[in-house]
Amino acid sequence: MTTPRQKMLERWTPALLLAPGLILFFGVIVFSAFRTFWISLHEWDGFGTAVYVGLANYRELWTDPQFWMSLKNNAIWLVVFLLAPPLGLAIALLVNQKIAGMRFAKSLFFMPLVLSLVTVGVIFSWFYDPTFGILAKIFGLFGAEAPALLSSERYVTFAVVFAGLWPQVAFCLVLFLAGLNNLDSEIIGAGRVDNARGWQMLRHVVLPQLKQVSFIAIAISMIGALRSFDIISVMTSGGPFGSSSVLAYQMYEESLFSYRYGYGAAIATVLFAIMLIFIVWYLANLLKNENGA
Amino acid sequence: MYPKPIPPSHRTSRILYMTGVWAVLAIWLLPVAAIIMTSFRTFDDIMAGNYWGWPTKFNILENYAAIFQHTDMLVYFRNSLIITIPSVVLVLALSTMTGFVLSRHKFVGSTLLFAAFIAGNFMPYQVFMIPVRDLMVSLGLYDTYGALILFHVSFQLGFATLFMRNFIAALPGELFQAARAEGASPMQILRIIVVPLVRPALAALAILLFTFIWNDYFWAIVLTQTDAVKPVTAGLANLRGEWVSAWNVISAATLFVAIPPVLMFFLMQKHFVSGLTMGAVKG
Amino acid sequence: MSNVTLKNVNKHYGPFHALKNIDLDIVPGEFVVMVGPSGCGKSTLLKTIAGLEEVTNGTINIAGRDVTREEPGDRGIAMVFQSYALYPHMTVRQNMGFGLRIMKRPPEEIEAAVQRAARILRIEELLEKKPAQLSGGQRQRVAIGRAITREPHVFLFDEPLSNLDAALRTQMRVELATLHKDLNATMIYVTHDQIEAMTMADRIVVLRAGVIEQVGTPLGLYHNPANRFVASFLGSPRMNFFEGIVSSIEDGAVVVNVDGLPPLAFANIREGHGLTQNATVAVGVRPEHLHLSGDHEIQAPAKIRLSEQLGRETVLYADAGALKTVGSDTGTSDVTLLAGEGGIPAEASTVTFGFDTNRAYLFGPDGQTLTTEKTIGA
Repeated sequence: MTTPRQKMLERWTPALLLAPGLILFFGVIVFSAFRTFWISLHEWDGFGTAVYVGLANYRELWTDPQFWMSLKNNAIWLVVFLLAPPLGLAIALLVNQKIAGMRFAKSLFFMPLVLSLVTVGVIFSWFYDPTFGILAKIFGLFGAEAPALLSSERYVTFAVVFAGLWPQVAFCLVLFLAGLNNLDSEIIGAGRVDNARGWQMLRHVVLPQLKQVSFIAIAISMIGALRSFDIISVMTSGGPFGSSSVLAYQMYEESLFSYRYGYGAAIATVLFAIMLIFIVWYLANLLKNENGA
Repeated sequence: MYPKPIPPSHRTSRILYMTGVWAVLAIWLLPVAAIIMTSFRTFDDIMAGNYWGWPTKFNILENYAAIFQHTDMLVYFRNSLIITIPSVVLVLALSTMTGFVLSRHKFVGSTLLFAAFIAGNFMPYQVFMIPVRDLMVSLGLYDTYGALILFHVSFQLGFATLFMRNFIAALPGELFQAARAEGASPMQILRIIVVPLVRPALAALAILLFTFIWNDYFWAIVLTQTDAVKPVTAGLANLRGEWVSAWNVISAATLFVAIPPVLMFFLMQKHFVSGLTMGAVKG
Repeated sequence: MSNVTLKNVNKHYGPFHALKNIDLDIVPGEFVVMVGPSGCGKSTLLKTIAGLEEVTNGTINIAGRDVTREEPGDRGIAMVFQSYALYPHMTVRQNMGFGLRIMKRPPEEIEAAVQRAARILRIEELLEKKPAQLSGGQRQRVAIGRAITREPHVFLFDEPLSNLDAALRTQMRVELATLHKDLNATMIYVTHDQIEAMTMADRIVVLRAGVIEQVGTPLGLYHNPANRFVASFLGSPRMNFFEGIVSSIEDGAVVVNVDGLPPLAFANIREGHGLTQNATVAVGVRPEHLHLSGDHEIQAPAKIRLSEQLGRETVLYADAGALKTVGSDTGTSDVTLLAGEGGIPAEASTVTFGFDTNRAYLFGPDGQTLTTEKTIGA
């Protein structure tokens, strides 16, 4: 017999199970998201009292050349990161064979994925080192002198993005390999019977089956691009002269080094808004797929 | 299968193909190979610009000893373990609970809640920096392990809940109906049915979370200050400032930082890959 | 319209020998069905003909051309897959025209071919739909339509009806048979369903463990199985097998002792049967040849254990005491009998059943049929 007390308990079990997770997630994460926006409407040094200033921080952003530089760099990250899915697919196609040693080769291809971005940053800083780095060696082979990529305002962002692309390609590779493993072998067979080969097979038979995976690979690459921070911090600290900064990094600097928390929060809010566009796009796609299935 | 498998009978093609793969891999891992070689070199070699040639002398022990004797890497390493392990365990426990409820109980706002978890999971986490830092300061947790554990647990819950919810939702519904028919309470269902069945998911999730948290750098520099609590990633970045051109030592330290996740990856590669694809493909 | 010839085809998957020395000659316009239990290699054989699997050695000729090393698309075949394998992102029209499009045929020609196939299969109104919007039967038709548009020398079917429900399966079976007559095309069809094999085939190929056990017309195989495997595989309910010992061999007549039966004297034994006294043999009798009434050479009592009433006929499972069957459908040693409309014995009642030795089959220790051919229809 279940007593009324037990019944009561059972009724509330789901709520009790949810509670700790929800409290943490809402208390720390969701609350912070809203509070960021709230702080962005204030002038605040992080210690004293915050003064409400309305949209003043946003007006200042509009005229801040560094903000536009960061925004432009974020755009560069986004565009370059769009190379990650096709590159990942290319490697996935290369290693999707059952030959002795391939399993080990695959794991080595995955490796950049488990390295911390700090590690990646350190590795590439050294890679680009104008006196000792491998780039210098390659240029040296042709008797030329290597450009100091990380101190060139012109190339620095590309040099950093390229480093960030490395683990991102590995991520896409993992996704596409899973996608290739899930291909419907009978449809591939039908394609072969229909005489589709090489590019036509890829274009008309294989890629349509990888639509979902491609979508995820693109979405994850975009998120990765907007989250870029660690590599920039390790390789250039946003320099030289802020030329490799992105929104996340600028926010960090404005807040923790210039004690302009309100201004930093305004930058964070812009980043948030950009991300929101992607999330809405992603969720809309996800729901469409779930309803369609 | 696509591309078309090269049949085992075509031995030459297979050998040529594999040679090609290793060649691409060599370029792919060039940075890693270089840093491994560098960690073996002497400082004199580096000064002389011998980056790619054979090391004139192997300095493996000295370089690795240097990181233990002259730097705080061991302390950072211990800090990372103290932060990462409890965070992973907590996230696993909490997300099993939230994932179970969200996958098996429909209630008002459950879809909205689910959407909130997805959205939180996708956010560039930097946007939470200012309020989170402020929160930790007012809780008295700033510059303690607690700050990092509290944040990581809260943030990773989004991804982990999504992951567990999808996994539990894919379990056969009859299983739960049968348990209900036999009079099991939700708590018993969780204990007797869900927990044993989600073990593979938990293994996959654990290794992912371990990698994510261990590799975190942003929150390490935002929420800690003193060397006594700093994790390895922040420590490594510090080291670079102190040992500017001692690339041999920095390389050794860099590899040292990478050991746990790389080791975990090779030991549990299947779980890692399935976790990553499960989390991503379904989420 | 063409013939398909397989010569000494072998297929290995590593150490596993999936197809062993397959020789087969298919004449133009023939409908050949390959049957066998799962894992017997029938699908593998079809895929090697299609070119989706490479043979380890041997040759495959289609329409007089050696296609052993050619790609599927070059062999002049079309295939209908078990899952239909329609391209999910293309409309029915695009699905059906895809092969011709790859061959860079002019659009008018593609359209004409698609229209013709759609008309034959009565799917003209589905052309703009995507596969996900179609029912199982409609997808099946589109898959067949896609095969027709290619105008192949040979149609290959890989268990195409196994994903349909029973009613639709019967309907498609009839339609496929009609289609075969209308197109007069060569078709090779793989199934594990013996009813499909019996009803559709001009000739049946029975496979087991990568070996062709027998090739012949449906009735030929049914009445004159080459061995015990074919005898047990075709026919439902299955043939009864009794183990026996050869007691004497004289003048070509073999007498077999089976526990629970009087001695069975087989007069119609093949030459060179190689039997010796005391050899262990099997006697096979189909359920429809075990009669509950009338005078028969051999008679035995049995107690009805269970009856399955199917309307037109009733299947009886009876315990015949010392007379035990081996390898039956039911997993028991019961004898399977058929009762017609008249006189269904009650369960638990005891009956006497009988049969004539000339209706029985004798299988040697190696499973080969030793009785001479029986006349079909008699």
